[in-house]
Amino acid sequence: MSSAALVPTVNHTDLDLATLKNKVLIRNLNFFYGAAQALKDVSLPLYEHKVTGFIGPSGCGKSTLLRVLNRIYDLYPKQRAEGEVLLDGEDILSPKQDLNLLRARIGMVFQKPTPFPMSIYENIAFGIRLYERVTRSGLEERVESALQRAALWEEVKDKLHANGLSLSGGQQQRLCIARTVAVRPEVILLDEPCSALDPISTAKIEELIDELKDDYTIVIVTHNMQQAARVSDFTAFMYLGELVEFDLTSKVFTAPRDRRTQDYITGRFG
Amino acid sequence: MTVELYSVRRRRNRIATGFALAATTFGLGWLVVILISLLWNGVSGLSTRVFTQMTPPPGSDGGLLNPIVGSLILTSLAVLMGTPIGILAGTYMAEYGRHSRLTTVVRFINDILLSAPSIVVGLFVYEVMVAPLGHFSAIAGAVALAIIVVPVVVRTTEDMLLLVPNQLREAAAALGMPRAVVVTKVAYRAARAGMITGVLLAVARVSGETAPLLFTALNNQFWSLNLNAPMASLPAVIFQFALSPYQDWQKLAWTGALIITLSVLALSIIARALAASRTSP
Repeated sequence: MSSAALVPTVNHTDLDLATLKNKVLIRNLNFFYGAAQALKDVSLPLYEHKVTGFIGPSGCGKSTLLRVLNRIYDLYPKQRAEGEVLLDGEDILSPKQDLNLLRARIGMVFQKPTPFPMSIYENIAFGIRLYERVTRSGLEERVESALQRAALWEEVKDKLHANGLSLSGGQQQRLCIARTVAVRPEVILLDEPCSALDPISTAKIEELIDELKDDYTIVIVTHNMQQAARVSDFTAFMYLGELVEFDLTSKVFTAPRDRRTQDYITGRFG
Repeated sequence: MTVELYSVRRRRNRIATGFALAATTFGLGWLVVILISLLWNGVSGLSTRVFTQMTPPPGSDGGLLNPIVGSLILTSLAVLMGTPIGILAGTYMAEYGRHSRLTTVVRFINDILLSAPSIVVGLFVYEVMVAPLGHFSAIAGAVALAIIVVPVVVRTTEDMLLLVPNQLREAAAALGMPRAVVVTKVAYRAARAGMITGVLLAVARVSGETAPLLFTALNNQFWSLNLNAPMASLPAVIFQFALSPYQDWQKLAWTGALIITLSVLALSIIARALAASRTSP
Protein backbone atom coordinates (compact mmCIF):
# COMPACT_ATOMS: atom_id res chain seq x y z
CA MET A 1 0.00 0.00 0.00
CA SER A 2 1.28 3.43 -0.84
CA SER A 3 1.53 5.94 1.93
CA ALA A 4 0.37 8.82 -0.24
CA ALA A 5 -2.47 10.97 1.04
CA LEU A 6 -5.65 8.91 0.97
CA VAL A 7 -7.82 11.90 1.84
CA PRO A 8 -6.64 15.49 1.55
CA THR A 9 -5.94 16.95 4.98
CA VAL A 10 -5.05 20.31 6.41
CA ASN A 11 -1.38 20.90 7.02
CA HIS A 12 -0.57 20.35 10.67
CA THR A 13 3.20 20.48 10.42
CA ASP A 14 3.18 23.64 12.51
CA LEU A 15 1.96 21.65 15.53
CA ASP A 16 4.48 21.49 18.30
CA LEU A 17 3.67 18.32 20.17
CA ALA A 18 5.75 19.27 23.17
CA THR A 19 3.56 22.27 24.03
CA LEU A 20 0.30 20.33 24.04
CA LYS A 21 -1.59 20.24 27.30
CA ASN A 22 -4.10 17.56 28.27
CA LYS A 23 -7.50 19.07 28.91
CA VAL A 24 -9.15 15.71 29.29
CA LEU A 25 -7.50 12.37 29.84
CA ILE A 26 -9.53 9.22 29.28
CA ARG A 27 -8.06 6.15 30.94
CA ASN A 28 -9.21 2.53 30.58
CA LEU A 29 -12.80 3.50 29.94
CA ASN A 30 -15.41 0.76 29.66
CA PHE A 31 -19.06 1.53 28.99
CA PHE A 32 -22.15 -0.63 29.27
CA TYR A 33 -25.72 -0.37 28.03
CA GLY A 34 -27.22 -2.86 30.44
CA ALA A 35 -25.19 -6.01 29.79
CA ALA A 36 -23.90 -4.94 26.37
CA GLN A 37 -20.43 -3.46 26.41
CA ALA A 38 -20.13 -0.48 24.05
CA LEU A 39 -16.64 0.77 24.89
CA LYS A 40 -13.69 -1.48 25.57
CA ASP A 41 -10.74 -0.15 27.50
CA VAL A 42 -10.52 3.17 25.69
CA SER A 43 -7.64 5.50 26.60
CA LEU A 44 -6.80 8.78 24.90
CA PRO A 45 -6.04 12.42 25.63
CA LEU A 46 -7.99 15.45 24.42
CA TYR A 47 -5.59 18.35 23.98
CA GLU A 48 -6.46 21.87 25.05
CA HIS A 49 -7.33 24.31 22.24
CA LYS A 50 -7.27 21.53 19.70
CA VAL A 51 -10.00 19.82 17.70
CA THR A 52 -10.18 16.06 18.14
CA GLY A 53 -12.32 14.10 15.66
CA PHE A 54 -13.88 10.72 16.43
CA ILE A 55 -14.47 8.64 13.31
CA GLY A 56 -15.59 5.09 12.70
CA PRO A 57 -18.49 3.08 11.30
CA SER A 58 -21.97 3.27 12.83
CA GLY A 59 -22.21 1.58 16.20
CA CYS A 60 -18.47 1.77 16.88
CA GLY A 61 -18.98 3.73 20.09
CA LYS A 62 -17.89 7.22 19.06
CA SER A 63 -21.13 8.89 20.14
CA THR A 64 -21.13 6.81 23.31
CA LEU A 65 -17.64 8.05 24.12
CA LEU A 66 -18.81 11.63 23.59
CA ARG A 67 -21.81 11.07 25.86
CA VAL A 68 -19.50 9.90 28.65
CA LEU A 69 -17.55 13.15 28.60
CA ASN A 70 -20.46 15.25 29.98
CA ARG A 71 -22.11 12.26 31.65
CA ILE A 72 -25.30 12.86 29.72
CA TYR A 73 -25.74 9.07 29.75
CA ASP A 74 -26.53 9.50 33.44
CA LEU A 75 -30.06 10.58 32.47
CA TYR A 76 -30.82 6.96 31.69
CA PRO A 77 -30.79 4.06 34.10
CA LYS A 78 -28.84 0.93 33.19
CA GLN A 79 -26.09 2.87 31.45
CA ARG A 80 -22.78 2.92 33.28
CA ALA A 81 -19.16 3.80 32.76
CA GLU A 82 -16.05 2.32 34.40
CA GLY A 83 -12.56 3.73 34.34
CA GLU A 84 -11.33 7.29 34.59
CA VAL A 85 -12.07 10.50 32.74
CA LEU A 86 -9.89 13.28 34.10
CA LEU A 87 -10.90 16.86 33.39
CA ASP A 88 -7.96 19.04 34.49
CA GLY A 89 -6.88 16.10 36.61
CA GLU A 90 -10.23 15.61 38.33
CA ASP A 91 -12.18 12.39 37.77
CA ILE A 92 -15.59 13.31 36.38
CA LEU A 93 -16.87 9.74 36.73
CA SER A 94 -16.61 10.07 40.50
CA PRO A 95 -20.01 9.82 42.21
CA LYS A 96 -19.19 13.07 44.00
CA GLN A 97 -19.10 14.99 40.73
CA ASP A 98 -21.93 17.55 40.50
CA LEU A 99 -23.44 16.83 37.10
CA ASN A 100 -25.01 20.24 36.50
CA LEU A 101 -21.75 22.05 37.19
CA LEU A 102 -19.86 19.56 35.02
CA ARG A 103 -22.26 20.12 32.11
CA ALA A 104 -21.90 23.87 32.47
CA ARG A 105 -18.15 23.35 31.91
CA ILE A 106 -18.53 20.82 29.09
CA GLY A 107 -21.04 21.96 26.49
CA MET A 108 -22.64 19.73 23.88
CA VAL A 109 -24.25 20.22 20.47
CA PHE A 110 -26.41 17.41 19.17
CA GLN A 111 -26.97 15.82 15.80
CA LYS A 112 -30.44 17.26 15.38
CA PRO A 113 -30.95 20.95 16.10
CA THR A 114 -32.83 21.24 19.41
CA PRO A 115 -33.89 24.85 19.99
CA PHE A 116 -35.97 25.29 23.13
CA PRO A 117 -39.60 26.30 22.58
CA MET A 118 -38.90 29.96 23.32
CA SER A 119 -37.60 33.05 21.55
CA ILE A 120 -34.19 33.19 19.88
CA TYR A 121 -33.02 35.62 22.57
CA GLU A 122 -34.32 33.46 25.42
CA ASN A 123 -32.75 30.33 23.93
CA ILE A 124 -29.35 31.88 24.60
CA ALA A 125 -30.10 34.03 27.66
CA PHE A 126 -31.56 31.06 29.52
CA GLY A 127 -28.29 29.17 29.84
CA ILE A 128 -26.31 32.28 30.83
CA ARG A 129 -28.73 33.14 33.65
CA LEU A 130 -28.44 29.64 35.10
CA TYR A 131 -24.97 30.17 36.52
CA GLU A 132 -24.30 33.89 36.35
CA ARG A 133 -25.81 37.10 37.65
CA VAL A 134 -25.74 39.50 34.73
CA THR A 135 -27.33 42.89 34.20
CA ARG A 136 -29.88 43.34 31.47
CA SER A 137 -27.43 45.15 29.20
CA GLY A 138 -24.70 42.66 30.03
CA LEU A 139 -27.03 39.87 29.04
CA GLU A 140 -27.86 41.58 25.76
CA GLU A 141 -24.16 41.89 24.97
CA ARG A 142 -23.54 38.25 25.79
CA VAL A 143 -26.41 37.14 23.56
CA GLU A 144 -25.18 39.30 20.70
CA SER A 145 -21.58 38.12 20.96
CA ALA A 146 -22.68 34.46 21.13
CA LEU A 147 -24.80 34.91 18.03
CA GLN A 148 -21.94 36.64 16.27
CA ARG A 149 -19.53 33.86 17.13
CA ALA A 150 -22.00 31.36 15.70
CA ALA A 151 -22.27 33.47 12.50
CA LEU A 152 -25.99 33.91 13.04
CA TRP A 153 -26.25 37.51 14.27
CA GLU A 154 -26.75 39.15 10.87
CA GLU A 155 -29.61 36.77 10.05
CA VAL A 156 -31.54 37.12 13.30
CA LYS A 157 -30.70 40.54 14.77
CA ASP A 158 -34.06 41.98 13.69
CA LYS A 159 -36.14 39.10 15.02
CA LEU A 160 -34.58 38.16 18.34
CA HIS A 161 -38.01 37.71 19.85
CA ALA A 162 -39.27 35.31 17.19
CA ASN A 163 -39.60 31.68 18.22
CA GLY A 164 -36.38 29.70 17.86
CA LEU A 165 -38.31 26.98 16.05
CA SER A 166 -39.16 29.40 13.22
CA LEU A 167 -35.56 29.32 11.97
CA SER A 168 -34.31 27.02 9.21
CA GLY A 169 -32.49 23.80 10.12
CA GLY A 170 -29.04 25.28 9.57
CA GLN A 171 -29.90 28.40 11.52
CA GLN A 172 -31.34 26.30 14.35
CA GLN A 173 -28.10 24.35 14.57
CA ARG A 174 -26.06 27.56 14.72
CA LEU A 175 -28.47 28.80 17.40
CA CYS A 176 -27.69 25.66 19.40
CA ILE A 177 -23.97 26.29 18.97
CA ALA A 178 -24.46 29.93 20.06
CA ARG A 179 -26.38 28.70 23.10
CA THR A 180 -23.53 26.36 24.02
CA VAL A 181 -20.82 28.98 23.46
CA ALA A 182 -22.76 31.60 25.43
CA VAL A 183 -22.33 29.81 28.76
CA ARG A 184 -18.53 29.82 28.18
CA PRO A 185 -17.76 26.15 28.68
CA GLU A 186 -14.20 24.84 28.60
CA VAL A 187 -14.85 21.91 26.32
CA ILE A 188 -17.39 21.68 23.47
CA LEU A 189 -18.66 18.30 22.31
CA LEU A 190 -20.16 18.17 18.83
CA ASP A 191 -22.15 15.05 17.93
CA GLU A 192 -22.38 14.97 14.14
CA PRO A 193 -23.39 18.63 14.12
CA CYS A 194 -23.65 18.87 10.33
CA SER A 195 -25.37 15.63 9.45
CA ALA A 196 -28.75 17.32 8.97
CA LEU A 197 -27.39 20.40 7.21
CA ASP A 198 -26.88 21.58 3.64
CA PRO A 199 -23.34 22.21 2.33
CA ILE A 200 -23.47 25.99 2.89
CA SER A 201 -24.51 25.66 6.53
CA THR A 202 -21.94 22.91 6.95
CA ALA A 203 -19.20 25.17 5.63
CA LYS A 204 -20.26 27.91 8.04
CA ILE A 205 -20.15 25.56 10.99
CA GLU A 206 -16.76 24.18 9.99
CA GLU A 207 -15.36 27.71 9.78
CA LEU A 208 -16.84 28.36 13.19
CA ILE A 209 -15.18 25.28 14.69
CA ASP A 210 -11.87 26.53 13.41
CA GLU A 211 -12.38 29.88 15.14
CA LEU A 212 -13.69 28.39 18.37
CA LYS A 213 -10.65 26.26 19.04
CA ASP A 214 -8.67 29.32 20.09
CA ASP A 215 -10.81 29.48 23.22
CA TYR A 216 -12.15 26.00 23.68
CA THR A 217 -11.19 22.36 23.52
CA ILE A 218 -13.34 20.75 20.85
CA VAL A 219 -14.37 17.18 20.21
CA ILE A 220 -16.34 16.31 17.09
CA VAL A 221 -17.98 13.05 16.10
CA THR A 222 -18.47 12.78 12.37
CA HIS A 223 -19.38 10.26 9.73
CA ASN A 224 -17.90 12.44 7.08
CA MET A 225 -14.24 11.63 6.62
CA GLN A 226 -13.55 14.77 4.60
CA GLN A 227 -14.99 16.78 7.45
CA ALA A 228 -12.79 15.05 10.00
CA ALA A 229 -9.80 15.71 7.79
CA ARG A 230 -10.76 19.36 7.32
CA VAL A 231 -11.54 20.41 10.86
CA SER A 232 -9.68 18.20 13.30
CA ASP A 233 -6.09 18.38 14.50
CA PHE A 234 -6.21 14.91 15.99
CA THR A 235 -8.25 11.94 14.88
CA ALA A 236 -9.37 8.89 16.82
CA PHE A 237 -10.55 5.93 14.76
CA MET A 238 -12.87 3.60 16.61
CA TYR A 239 -14.12 0.19 15.64
CA LEU A 240 -16.44 -2.18 17.54
CA GLY A 241 -16.06 -0.27 20.80
CA GLU A 242 -12.27 -0.15 20.66
CA LEU A 243 -9.98 2.75 19.97
CA VAL A 244 -7.97 1.46 17.03
CA GLU A 245 -5.81 4.46 16.31
CA PHE A 246 -5.27 7.94 17.70
CA ASP A 247 -2.83 10.38 16.19
CA LEU A 248 -2.40 13.64 14.35
CA THR A 249 -5.08 13.86 11.70
CA SER A 250 -2.46 14.22 8.99
CA LYS A 251 -0.83 10.99 10.12
CA VAL A 252 -4.06 9.01 10.47
CA PHE A 253 -5.17 10.02 6.99
CA THR A 254 -1.85 9.67 5.21
CA ALA A 255 -0.06 6.89 7.02
CA PRO A 256 -2.44 4.88 9.17
CA ARG A 257 -0.69 2.34 11.34
CA ASP A 258 -3.57 -0.10 11.51
CA ARG A 259 -4.98 -2.06 8.61
CA ARG A 260 -8.57 -1.40 9.78
CA THR A 261 -8.03 2.35 9.80
CA GLN A 262 -6.70 2.22 6.29
CA ASP A 263 -9.63 0.10 5.09
CA TYR A 264 -12.10 2.49 6.66
CA ILE A 265 -10.70 5.74 5.36
CA THR A 266 -10.28 4.32 1.88
CA GLY A 267 -13.93 3.31 1.96
CA ARG A 268 -13.39 -0.44 1.96
CA PHE A 269 -15.97 -0.84 4.74
CA GLY A 270 -18.11 1.25 7.06
CA MET B 1 -56.23 -10.06 -18.27
CA THR B 2 -55.86 -7.76 -15.31
CA VAL B 3 -58.78 -5.53 -16.31
CA GLU B 4 -61.19 -8.20 -15.08
CA LEU B 5 -59.46 -8.42 -11.68
CA TYR B 6 -59.43 -4.66 -11.50
CA SER B 7 -63.19 -4.32 -12.11
CA VAL B 8 -63.88 -6.90 -9.40
CA ARG B 9 -61.74 -4.92 -7.00
CA ARG B 10 -63.52 -1.73 -7.98
CA ARG B 11 -66.92 -3.28 -7.35
CA ARG B 12 -65.79 -4.52 -3.94
CA ASN B 13 -64.42 -1.10 -3.13
CA ARG B 14 -67.74 0.51 -4.03
CA ILE B 15 -69.69 -1.91 -1.81
CA ALA B 16 -67.34 -1.43 1.17
CA THR B 17 -67.45 2.36 0.78
CA GLY B 18 -71.24 2.17 0.66
CA PHE B 19 -71.35 0.23 3.94
CA ALA B 20 -68.98 2.65 5.62
CA LEU B 21 -71.04 5.59 4.46
CA ALA B 22 -74.27 4.01 5.67
CA ALA B 23 -72.78 3.29 9.11
CA THR B 24 -71.51 6.85 9.39
CA THR B 25 -74.88 8.31 8.41
CA PHE B 26 -76.68 6.04 10.87
CA GLY B 27 -74.38 6.96 13.75
CA LEU B 28 -74.18 10.66 13.07
CA GLY B 29 -77.91 10.80 12.26
CA TRP B 30 -78.85 10.17 15.88
CA LEU B 31 -76.46 12.83 17.03
CA VAL B 32 -78.07 15.32 14.65
CA VAL B 33 -81.54 14.31 15.87
CA ILE B 34 -80.45 14.84 19.48
CA LEU B 35 -78.95 18.25 18.73
CA ILE B 36 -81.97 19.38 16.70
CA SER B 37 -84.46 18.35 19.38
CA LEU B 38 -82.27 20.05 21.98
CA LEU B 39 -82.22 23.27 19.94
CA TRP B 40 -85.93 23.00 19.12
CA ASN B 41 -86.98 22.57 22.72
CA GLY B 42 -84.28 24.64 24.36
CA VAL B 43 -84.01 27.80 22.28
CA SER B 44 -87.61 28.84 22.83
CA GLY B 45 -86.93 28.98 26.58
CA LEU B 46 -83.78 31.12 26.25
CA SER B 47 -84.27 34.63 27.56
CA THR B 48 -82.50 37.03 29.89
CA ARG B 49 -84.76 35.69 32.65
CA VAL B 50 -82.92 32.36 32.48
CA PHE B 51 -79.69 34.09 33.51
CA THR B 52 -81.14 36.51 36.08
CA GLN B 53 -83.78 34.60 38.07
CA MET B 54 -83.77 31.67 40.46
CA THR B 55 -85.37 28.30 39.81
CA PRO B 56 -89.11 28.77 40.27
CA PRO B 57 -91.72 26.72 42.07
CA PRO B 58 -94.00 24.96 39.58
CA GLY B 59 -96.45 27.32 37.90
CA SER B 60 -94.48 30.56 38.24
CA ASP B 61 -91.81 32.35 36.25
CA GLY B 62 -88.14 31.79 36.95
CA GLY B 63 -84.73 31.09 35.54
CA LEU B 64 -81.60 29.06 36.09
CA LEU B 65 -79.32 31.59 37.79
CA ASN B 66 -78.62 29.53 40.91
CA PRO B 67 -77.80 26.27 39.08
CA ILE B 68 -75.64 28.13 36.51
CA VAL B 69 -73.62 29.82 39.25
CA GLY B 70 -73.59 26.57 41.23
CA SER B 71 -72.20 24.65 38.27
CA LEU B 72 -69.54 27.31 37.71
CA ILE B 73 -68.48 27.15 41.37
CA LEU B 74 -68.48 23.34 41.57
CA THR B 75 -66.58 22.96 38.30
CA SER B 76 -64.01 25.64 39.15
CA LEU B 77 -63.36 24.16 42.60
CA ALA B 78 -63.07 20.68 41.12
CA VAL B 79 -60.55 21.90 38.52
CA LEU B 80 -58.61 23.88 41.13
CA MET B 81 -58.32 20.78 43.31
CA GLY B 82 -57.86 18.18 40.60
CA THR B 83 -55.50 19.91 38.16
CA PRO B 84 -52.45 20.35 40.43
CA ILE B 85 -52.69 16.74 41.61
CA GLY B 86 -53.10 15.51 38.05
CA ILE B 87 -50.23 17.58 36.67
CA LEU B 88 -47.86 16.61 39.50
CA ALA B 89 -48.71 12.91 39.11
CA GLY B 90 -48.38 13.07 35.32
CA THR B 91 -45.06 14.89 35.67
CA TYR B 92 -43.72 12.25 38.02
CA MET B 93 -44.74 9.48 35.64
CA ALA B 94 -43.28 11.08 32.50
CA GLU B 95 -40.23 12.88 33.88
CA TYR B 96 -39.00 11.23 37.05
CA GLY B 97 -40.38 7.74 37.32
CA ARG B 98 -40.46 6.79 33.66
CA HIS B 99 -38.70 3.51 34.27
CA SER B 100 -40.07 2.78 37.73
CA ARG B 101 -42.52 0.13 38.74
CA LEU B 102 -44.61 2.66 40.63
CA THR B 103 -45.40 4.42 37.35
CA THR B 104 -46.74 1.23 35.78
CA VAL B 105 -48.94 0.63 38.82
CA VAL B 106 -50.17 4.25 38.94
CA ARG B 107 -50.92 4.24 35.21
CA PHE B 108 -52.94 1.04 35.56
CA ILE B 109 -54.95 2.39 38.50
CA ASN B 110 -55.41 5.71 36.73
CA ASP B 111 -56.85 3.95 33.69
CA ILE B 112 -59.34 2.17 35.94
CA LEU B 113 -60.29 5.48 37.57
CA LEU B 114 -60.64 7.02 34.11
CA SER B 115 -63.32 4.53 33.15
CA ALA B 116 -64.92 4.11 36.59
CA PRO B 117 -68.68 4.81 36.58
CA SER B 118 -69.10 8.29 38.03
CA ILE B 119 -71.89 7.14 40.33
CA VAL B 120 -69.30 5.04 42.17
CA VAL B 121 -67.25 8.19 42.74
CA GLY B 122 -70.39 9.87 44.11
CA LEU B 123 -71.06 7.01 46.49
CA PHE B 124 -67.45 7.02 47.66
CA VAL B 125 -67.52 10.73 48.51
CA TYR B 126 -70.91 10.23 50.19
CA GLU B 127 -69.31 7.63 52.44
CA VAL B 128 -66.18 9.59 53.32
CA MET B 129 -67.55 13.14 53.47
CA VAL B 130 -71.33 13.45 53.45
CA ALA B 131 -72.13 10.66 55.94
CA PRO B 132 -69.52 11.65 58.58
CA LEU B 133 -70.43 15.34 58.34
CA GLY B 134 -74.10 14.55 58.46
CA HIS B 135 -75.21 16.77 55.57
CA PHE B 136 -74.86 17.30 51.83
CA SER B 137 -72.49 20.07 50.81
CA ALA B 138 -71.11 21.88 47.77
CA ILE B 139 -67.56 21.05 48.85
CA ALA B 140 -68.36 17.33 48.79
CA GLY B 141 -69.72 17.81 45.25
CA ALA B 142 -66.53 19.59 44.20
CA VAL B 143 -64.40 16.79 45.69
CA ALA B 144 -66.41 14.19 43.76
CA LEU B 145 -65.91 16.12 40.53
CA ALA B 146 -62.20 16.61 41.33
CA ILE B 147 -61.82 12.84 41.57
CA ILE B 148 -63.12 12.68 38.00
CA VAL B 149 -60.79 15.50 36.87
CA VAL B 150 -57.61 13.89 38.25
CA PRO B 151 -57.33 10.82 35.96
CA VAL B 152 -58.10 12.87 32.84
CA VAL B 153 -55.37 15.39 33.67
CA VAL B 154 -52.88 12.67 34.73
CA ARG B 155 -53.37 10.91 31.42
CA THR B 156 -53.05 13.94 29.15
CA THR B 157 -50.13 15.38 31.13
CA GLU B 158 -48.19 12.12 30.92
CA ASP B 159 -49.02 11.61 27.23
CA MET B 160 -48.09 15.17 26.28
CA LEU B 161 -44.81 15.09 28.23
CA LEU B 162 -43.91 11.75 26.65
CA LEU B 163 -44.32 13.43 23.25
CA VAL B 164 -41.61 15.95 24.12
CA PRO B 165 -38.50 14.55 22.41
CA ASN B 166 -35.77 13.30 24.73
CA GLN B 167 -33.24 15.23 22.67
CA LEU B 168 -34.77 18.43 24.02
CA ARG B 169 -34.26 17.22 27.61
CA GLU B 170 -30.71 16.15 26.79
CA ALA B 171 -29.99 19.52 25.19
CA ALA B 172 -31.29 21.30 28.29
CA ALA B 173 -29.37 19.04 30.67
CA ALA B 174 -26.23 19.51 28.55
CA LEU B 175 -26.32 23.23 29.39
CA GLY B 176 -26.12 22.35 33.06
CA MET B 177 -29.81 22.87 33.70
CA PRO B 178 -31.02 21.16 36.89
CA ARG B 179 -33.75 18.56 36.41
CA ALA B 180 -36.51 20.73 37.91
CA VAL B 181 -35.70 23.59 35.52
CA VAL B 182 -35.63 21.21 32.55
CA VAL B 183 -39.12 20.05 33.47
CA THR B 184 -40.72 23.38 34.29
CA LYS B 185 -39.04 25.65 31.76
CA VAL B 186 -38.46 23.35 28.80
CA ALA B 187 -40.69 20.26 28.92
CA TYR B 188 -43.77 22.10 30.23
CA ARG B 189 -43.30 24.81 27.64
CA ALA B 190 -43.07 22.29 24.83
CA ALA B 191 -46.14 20.40 26.08
CA ARG B 192 -48.14 23.43 27.21
CA ALA B 193 -50.89 23.43 24.59
CA GLY B 194 -51.56 19.73 25.06
CA MET B 195 -51.65 20.00 28.83
CA ILE B 196 -54.12 22.91 28.71
CA THR B 197 -56.23 20.90 26.28
CA GLY B 198 -56.32 18.10 28.85
CA VAL B 199 -57.61 20.45 31.55
CA LEU B 200 -60.27 21.84 29.21
CA LEU B 201 -61.39 18.32 28.32
CA ALA B 202 -61.64 17.56 32.03
CA VAL B 203 -63.83 20.66 32.49
CA ALA B 204 -66.04 19.53 29.64
CA ARG B 205 -66.25 16.08 31.17
CA VAL B 206 -67.29 17.18 34.69
CA SER B 207 -69.62 19.99 33.69
CA GLY B 208 -72.18 17.43 32.52
CA GLU B 209 -71.78 14.95 35.39
CA THR B 210 -74.98 14.33 37.37
CA ALA B 211 -74.53 11.09 39.25
CA PRO B 212 -71.65 12.14 41.53
CA LEU B 213 -73.53 15.32 42.49
CA LEU B 214 -76.75 13.58 43.52
CA PHE B 215 -75.01 12.04 46.55
CA THR B 216 -72.87 15.03 47.42
CA ALA B 217 -73.91 18.57 46.49
CA LEU B 218 -77.50 17.38 46.10
CA ASN B 219 -79.48 20.36 44.78
CA ASN B 220 -80.86 23.63 46.04
CA GLN B 221 -83.99 25.49 44.97
CA PHE B 222 -82.59 28.71 46.36
CA TRP B 223 -79.61 31.01 45.95
CA SER B 224 -76.71 29.74 48.06
CA LEU B 225 -72.99 30.33 47.94
CA ASN B 226 -72.35 28.42 51.15
CA LEU B 227 -69.87 25.65 50.38
CA ASN B 228 -70.95 23.80 53.48
CA ALA B 229 -74.56 23.53 52.31
CA PRO B 230 -76.28 21.84 49.37
CA MET B 231 -75.77 23.74 46.11
CA ALA B 232 -77.74 23.81 42.87
CA SER B 233 -76.09 22.66 39.65
CA LEU B 234 -77.31 22.49 36.07
CA PRO B 235 -77.17 18.69 35.69
CA ALA B 236 -79.01 18.11 38.98
CA VAL B 237 -81.68 20.69 38.10
CA ILE B 238 -82.13 19.18 34.65
CA PHE B 239 -82.51 15.76 36.25
CA GLN B 240 -85.12 17.02 38.72
CA PHE B 241 -87.06 19.27 36.32
CA ALA B 242 -87.09 16.88 33.38
CA LEU B 243 -88.60 14.12 35.52
CA SER B 244 -91.28 16.46 36.94
CA PRO B 245 -94.85 16.52 35.62
CA TYR B 246 -94.79 20.34 35.22
CA GLN B 247 -94.55 21.79 31.70
CA ASP B 248 -92.64 24.94 32.71
CA TRP B 249 -90.06 22.91 34.66
CA GLN B 250 -89.57 20.59 31.69
CA LYS B 251 -89.02 23.60 29.45
CA LEU B 252 -86.35 24.98 31.80
CA ALA B 253 -84.68 21.54 31.83
CA TRP B 254 -84.38 21.69 28.01
CA THR B 255 -82.91 25.17 28.22
CA GLY B 256 -80.41 24.06 30.87
CA ALA B 257 -79.40 21.11 28.71
CA LEU B 258 -78.87 23.46 25.78
CA ILE B 259 -76.67 25.76 27.88
CA ILE B 260 -74.46 22.86 29.04
CA THR B 261 -74.17 21.47 25.51
CA LEU B 262 -73.20 24.82 24.04
CA SER B 263 -70.58 25.50 26.73
CA VAL B 264 -69.04 22.04 26.31
CA LEU B 265 -69.03 22.58 22.55
CA ALA B 266 -67.25 25.91 23.02
CA LEU B 267 -64.66 24.29 25.33
CA SER B 268 -64.03 21.48 22.86
CA ILE B 269 -63.51 23.95 20.04
CA ILE B 270 -61.03 25.93 22.14
CA ALA B 271 -59.25 22.70 23.08
CA ARG B 272 -59.02 21.69 19.41
CA ALA B 273 -57.76 25.10 18.35
CA LEU B 274 -55.05 24.90 21.04
CA ALA B 275 -54.07 21.39 20.01
CA ALA B 276 -53.80 22.55 16.40
CA SER B 277 -51.62 25.51 17.37
CA ARG B 278 -49.24 23.08 19.09
CA THR B 279 -48.13 21.65 15.76
CA SER B 280 -47.30 25.10 14.35
CA PRO B 281 -45.84 27.14 17.18
